[in-house]
Amino acid sequence: MKDINIDVKHVTRVEGHGNIIVDAKQGKLDEVLWEVSEAPRYFEAFVKDKPFTQLAQITSRICGICSIGHALTSLRATENAMDIEVSGQDEKLRKLALHGENMQSHVLHVGYLALPDLVGQGSVIPLASSHPEELKKVISLPKLANEISRVTCGRTTHPRRLIPGGFSKLPSPLELEKLKTKLEESVPVLKEVASFVKELSPALPDFERETEFISLTHDDEYAFYGGKIASTDGGITPVDDYLSVTNEYVVPQSTAKYTKNNRESYMVGALARLNNNFDQLTPLAKEVAEDFDLSPVCHNPYMNTIAQLVEVVHSVEDSLQLINELLDKGIEEQGLNYQPDIEPKAGTGVGAVEVPRGILFHEYTYDEEGRCTKANCIIPTNQNHGNIQHDMEKLVPEMIGEKSEDEMELTLEMLVRAYDPCISCSTHYLDVEFR
Amino acid sequence: MKIVIDGEEYPCEPGQKVYDVAQENDIYIPTLCLNELNTGERPAGCRMCLVEIVEENNEEPNLESSCSLPVSDGMEISTKSRVVYDERREVLELLLSEHQQDCRNCGISGDCKFSDLSFEYDIDGVSVCSECPNRKDGCFLSRGIICLGPITHSGCNAFCTRNGDPCESCFGILKNKDVLLFGLKDLDEKGFTREEILEAGKVFSYEETKSLEELIDENDIFNKEVQE
Repeated sequence: MKDINIDVKHVTRVEGHGNIIVDAKQGKLDEVLWEVSEAPRYFEAFVKDKPFTQLAQITSRICGICSIGHALTSLRATENAMDIEVSGQDEKLRKLALHGENMQSHVLHVGYLALPDLVGQGSVIPLASSHPEELKKVISLPKLANEISRVTCGRTTHPRRLIPGGFSKLPSPLELEKLKTKLEESVPVLKEVASFVKELSPALPDFERETEFISLTHDDEYAFYGGKIASTDGGITPVDDYLSVTNEYVVPQSTAKYTKNNRESYMVGALARLNNNFDQLTPLAKEVAEDFDLSPVCHNPYMNTIAQLVEVVHSVEDSLQLINELLDKGIEEQGLNYQPDIEPKAGTGVGAVEVPRGILFHEYTYDEEGRCTKANCIIPTNQNHGNIQHDMEKLVPEMIGEKSEDEMELTLEMLVRAYDPCISCSTHYLDVEFR
Repeated sequence: MKIVIDGEEYPCEPGQKVYDVAQENDIYIPTLCLNELNTGERPAGCRMCLVEIVEENNEEPNLESSCSLPVSDGMEISTKSRVVYDERREVLELLLSEHQQDCRNCGISGDCKFSDLSFEYDIDGVSVCSECPNRKDGCFLSRGIICLGPITHSGCNAFCTRNGDPCESCFGILKNKDVLLFGLKDLDEKGFTREEILEAGKVFSYEETKSLEELIDENDIFNKEVQE
């Protein structure tokens, strides 16, 4: 049997730099590696000694895609540490902002990064000639998603209006009305995009590996903004005990830490959320999921892309619901350039929010002056690296002898892409002694 | 009939304007309002063509816009004196205050007289306050909240202060030292400390706050308590 030598440096159509390495001789697997070669980011060191008012602005810069998610997680950690109250109205607006970001990121991944694989192309550009009408519909969605972020946060990336205790400026009812109309108009478009993806979905590899799925869960809603930590292996963990779930450890091939809980690895992201909270999806989202035969617990990582599509539908429906509630109750005015009067105090707080790629944790310790003395940020992709590695270890032997080297390479790249990794965000400050 | 421009004699006709005599003799005088679209009229509107009429025993410099200044025999004109340069620069800054501020990074740059003149006269922006809609009670500084607007390069259209958050100087600290000093003194008067300003500036403009520190020390700002 021919030797197999796959060395993908770096995987394209993902955020950041990661490599796939496979070595097999005479049909016997020597080595399969998912390498993360990004430099560590040191954000936890940047925020040390900084006043609490600056933290969300700084940590938002960890990621350009999940800037709203990072800002909100950071704010929740700060608010928990100092017992800062946030009004019901502000919480709804924050959830709306999160939906905007989630939708934007998911459409980018499903439509631009994953779809080309399903039609056998290397990028989204050839789809403009092969599927022009469908692509136009896909393209209209990120625009809408960005509009949600702009209305709630002031701009599409790196939110400005999110501050400890609420919002510095609120959207006007008129802006929300306009947004509502656009969201309503997008529902038929979404259905068409879903059926387009459905047509192409048989190209998704049929691969399963039993693993653990971890996400937030909430009694009243499909959890994005806060809740408790749930696992498909059972058990609910309060957010404050997140370290007992993440259990970070260091591996030689990666500058990002790996994590594990009950098993050798676990997965976070859209599929994990869907597996844990399927019943709380909105009606249309459930319909789309059922169309794809997607039901909990699904152990095919490639279905993460489909779970993202389902969540886009959920985000649109839930955003409409949130806007309706806000408009019905009327937006409660606050002063011009609102900056709440917060008395800083010492303490530790954990924030957990579901961002597009999964559960995100920030933990801060503050001194009496409200200056950060210690910070820890655990990013979704670094919780997924271990699962990617173990998926590959199972997938590669299944393919040896069945598929050509090129086909193997593509299937492995598609696996990495299915996790929608945000690699450069996943490398965080490593407290390692080099020998 | 003759006039003297920058120390050289040039012949001229009665009724001619100084600007035209300079043009005939290839002496450069900048202008914005005299252009192809505006040949017939002389609105003397932009004031960029200011020149100095040099007279002995003049206490105040005599500045006139050359496009509307008629020649008189023996008149002595300077187009290059320090006072002419400074005055033109100020005119340009005033004109720019009504315009998109970040002139040097504008897309039209290279095909815009305004932009060319900004380079020529070393205009490096005015503060974010010039673009900020918050006045009086809306101003963060009047509420005791640190905002770096007065010492920050404009061009962002005051995005953050429009969205209810104070300026964090992400566009960079002003390069124009006069305006920068003015802004620092303003912050000082409103009761903010050197440390507060440097800490706020370090988030986005870490390197620049180092030179800001030097400038503050050189000019003895934020030292009231010590003096008392």
